[in-house]
Amino acid sequence: MKKFFPPLFLLCALALGIVVVFSNTVSSTYVPKPDANLTVTDNEPFDKMMQVLTHERCVNCHPNDGIPKQGADGHPHHFGIAGGPNNTGFEATNCATCHQSENNPYSGVPGAPEWSLAPASMQWEGLSRTEIATSMMDPERNGGRSPEETMHHLTEHELVLWAWKPGVDADGNPRTPPHVPKEEYIAAVKAWFHQGHIIPSE
Amino acid sequence: MTISLHVNGILKTVDVPDENTPLLWVVRDLLELKGTKFGCGKAACGACTLHVDGEAVRSCSYPVKFARDKQITTIEGLGSPENPHPVQQAWIEEVVPQCGYCQPGFMMATAALLKKIPRPTDTDIDNNIVNVCRCATYYRMRKAIHRAAEIQQESTEKPIT
Amino acid sequence: MATEKKKVSRRKFLVRGGLGTLGVLAVGTYLFRSPIRRKIAGLVNTADTPYMGNTKTPIIWFEITKNNTIVLHSPKVEMGQGTFTGLAQMVAEELEVAMERIQVVHAQSASGNMDGFATGGSTSISALWVPLRELAATMRKMLENEAIKKMDAGDVQPVVSNGSITIGERSMTYAEIAEGVQEWDVPDTPPLKTGKTFRYIGKPIPRVDLKDKVFGAPLFGMDAVLPDMLFGSVVRASTIGATFSGADTSKAEQMPGVVKIVTEPDFVGVVATSQQEAENAKNAITVNWKVDTTVQTADIEAMIAVGKGTPFVIQKEGAVEDLISDAETTIVSEYKSPIGAHAQLEPNGALAHVKADKATIIMSTQVVKITRDEIAERLDLDAENVNIVPTFLGGGFGRRLHTPNGIQAAVLSKAVGKPVKCFFSRKEEFQNDTFRPPTHHVLKAKLNSNGSIEAFEHNVSSGDVAFGSPMVPGIAEPILGADLGAWRGGMIQYGNIPNHQAISWRVKLPFATSWWRSLGLLANTFAIESFMDELSVKANKDPVQFRLDHIQTDERGERLKKVITAAAEKAQWTNETQNGRAMGFAASTDANTPCAQVVEVSIVDGEIKVHKVTCAMDPGLVVNPDQVRAQCEGAIIMGMSASLFERMYVEDGELQPTIYGPYQMALMKHAPKEIDIILLEGADTPGAVGEPPLGPIGAAIANAVYRLTGKRLQEMPLQLG
Repeated sequence: MKKFFPPLFLLCALALGIVVVFSNTVSSTYVPKPDANLTVTDNEPFDKMMQVLTHERCVNCHPNDGIPKQGADGHPHHFGIAGGPNNTGFEATNCATCHQSENNPYSGVPGAPEWSLAPASMQWEGLSRTEIATSMMDPERNGGRSPEETMHHLTEHELVLWAWKPGVDADGNPRTPPHVPKEEYIAAVKAWFHQGHIIPSE
Repeated sequence: MTISLHVNGILKTVDVPDENTPLLWVVRDLLELKGTKFGCGKAACGACTLHVDGEAVRSCSYPVKFARDKQITTIEGLGSPENPHPVQQAWIEEVVPQCGYCQPGFMMATAALLKKIPRPTDTDIDNNIVNVCRCATYYRMRKAIHRAAEIQQESTEKPIT
Repeated sequence: MATEKKKVSRRKFLVRGGLGTLGVLAVGTYLFRSPIRRKIAGLVNTADTPYMGNTKTPIIWFEITKNNTIVLHSPKVEMGQGTFTGLAQMVAEELEVAMERIQVVHAQSASGNMDGFATGGSTSISALWVPLRELAATMRKMLENEAIKKMDAGDVQPVVSNGSITIGERSMTYAEIAEGVQEWDVPDTPPLKTGKTFRYIGKPIPRVDLKDKVFGAPLFGMDAVLPDMLFGSVVRASTIGATFSGADTSKAEQMPGVVKIVTEPDFVGVVATSQQEAENAKNAITVNWKVDTTVQTADIEAMIAVGKGTPFVIQKEGAVEDLISDAETTIVSEYKSPIGAHAQLEPNGALAHVKADKATIIMSTQVVKITRDEIAERLDLDAENVNIVPTFLGGGFGRRLHTPNGIQAAVLSKAVGKPVKCFFSRKEEFQNDTFRPPTHHVLKAKLNSNGSIEAFEHNVSSGDVAFGSPMVPGIAEPILGADLGAWRGGMIQYGNIPNHQAISWRVKLPFATSWWRSLGLLANTFAIESFMDELSVKANKDPVQFRLDHIQTDERGERLKKVITAAAEKAQWTNETQNGRAMGFAASTDANTPCAQVVEVSIVDGEIKVHKVTCAMDPGLVVNPDQVRAQCEGAIIMGMSASLFERMYVEDGELQPTIYGPYQMALMKHAPKEIDIILLEGADTPGAVGEPPLGPIGAAIANAVYRLTGKRLQEMPLQLG
């Protein structure tokens, strides 16, 4: 566990305070102020969250080269498929040519609403946990999301939560979901945000 | 379960035991349109490509429930010997097919491509036409795709008389 | 020699009129030489397999319909190779009818017109070149004679033109002439047309099946339908060596749509009311497979090694051993090729309707007679009561020379008393293929002081190709000695090398290996022609000239020299790398058809990119140049695919992968944008077309990569690493 620097903490808290005021109208679940119980060593929520976000179910669609990845080994999507101009594939052969809004039990083709590649700014592939978290919290790179919006994306977006019902592969074998159960992950993400979404240095 | 869908411009109603039945089997076995082929059942080869509301879709991986009330076009509806689609015309001119099994899927994928990109470059073709042809007729297909684009352009440029 | 073999010793023509609803039916019996002699003849190096027709019962070749269409019942199947078109051209030529009047259909086995060999080995056009034209010419002559009778023409000579015969002022169509004729006079076969007078042969006529294939007609086995048809699915082993020992079907029995679960001594299957229900129920069956040993890729690699297995010298000239025994002066190199899958797009399957005393099986098969006999045996029916209705094949490539799928569909149909359609899933296709066997090659050579090859040896270790196939009976193995499929392309075509020999090492693998388009040609040429390139570098000679220098001056040699020269000239061959592109050269001789290829290759983003292929081939007389070109283009890209991408492997007893994509194949983006084909016609009869152009491509690419990188790639699929 690395050292935690209070000035940074305070700074974060301050920043969050501003966001909270803005966001209160949107959500009542997001509590902006840092958790009083937070200790400098309590990185469990972060660890749990990052266990999920670094899992292939997530990273495969946050590539660093515009090419979606597949499988536990994160190999490039077969047939030269790429995110293309809109992160939804090429003009005529695109994600929706094969991927629908739900998993296909017969073909093993995964699917969820808004099936697409994360935008180029959201490259996670090859990044460390802290780099992913930094990227995720950076409005320049996260699609202009506020921390609250990011939290909602991480805990409510169907495409994200697909990771826990990833269906079967072409051979009919179940895909591996992240090792952290979904509810634990959601709680961890919320806790991390509630605690001030502090990114430990590694 | 009853599902209505428009197939090649005609309203069809099918009764399927399972709403997740692939559209491929509905088209082939219930509607008796055999031009759409089964190649892998895994959306990998593209032999089952047809159009749903004008977009290329691999029908082996498309539950029929999603096709409800949509416009489905298969190779049989793309064109006819009397009135061939530019893609079919080009395929005839270049004598593309060998065994022919994968060809409907390629032609449907190409027709979808020409809608989005009327004059595709070689790179556009490489990116979008990723079906599998074991006879490896790719060399003539590329020529036919460029030719189809020409035919399509010629037909739209024709003055209306 | 080749022509003599095909000569017909005796023939008889019987024609009956008025049969069938379509109109007039012509039934011909065409007698050929002893089938045993032909079988042996067909297995020689030339692979010049004659037509092995039925010699006993009358067989249907042609129908003349009331609208004067000539229907040819083809004993050869159409799997994309264009045979129907070539045969139609041959018929048009001798029968004097326009192509539009000819319709080609697959002969059903019940028609008697079955080829006892197969559709394969690039032999369809060459095998039927004489017999089919003789049949057509004889039929034309019969129609002429009948026309003379009907029109009471006396001495006026009939004029034949596009399906009609004109005598003086009067004209009758073939259909009108044949109408009502009960007894035909059978004349001697008239002289056949020759090159100068050909009107259809040699012309680039569009494929006869072109429009059907472009407009999505239901042509294939999988498209077949019968009233009250049900859908079957059979559980197939995913593990090598697994034998069926019963199954728990209780769950499957409860699945929706299931009509019957059929448990046989050797397999279990399900019949259901729809395809998806049959598939779902099959997946709910738990089979007890008996597996003795779990095979891994390493086990296979250890088996396929020159020095292991049974050696057989397939070619020997001079005293090679003495010259290559000295390690100091002997150049040695090794090459390898992987397990290859057929991966044809239409899965194997059949629609069977079995009744108490007869059966109809509609399916894609390359071996109509074997398919029929196997099904008849399983159903305990007389072969005459099993009718195989061949359909267009959604790819053949040798895969459909094995057809147990027909048996399975038939057994399921018999069990429910209704027509049942049953075919492989894609996973089953990949795991139950009859694979191209992996190979290992050891080549040795000695150069003399002039830089010429003094001794050359090729050793190939391979799994079986022909052996173990229903087409080659076990008793033929000792006669043949070595597996003719495995060593196809394995002989040394450079007759000027004074001492040369080729040795085939047979290995029996634990999974099915068999015919794959061009058989051993791809791997053997990869090895030999890469090694020739190595030797040319060692000898400091231009690789094209180096090859020419080692070719003998007989007819075979001259034809090979001509294709090599033609390819090199057309491609403007250079040994120099220009603008990041290098050329590679290779040549092969397969079934008497020499073929030379020049490729232009560069490295793009770390990958081998083939920009252009120049291919010169001499298949003898060309019946349809456009289709021969199409075969060259397809064979080149298929060969590229196998050389650059394809590889099956074994993991925990299972053959992997099981789907396109992971089984990487050439796609549109990999195909060369330029393919330049030069066709030479160095013989006045047609030879092999569909397989020979697969030979050189792998070696040509590897040789170009050597020029670009200095690295000799010795294992397919070729990877820069």
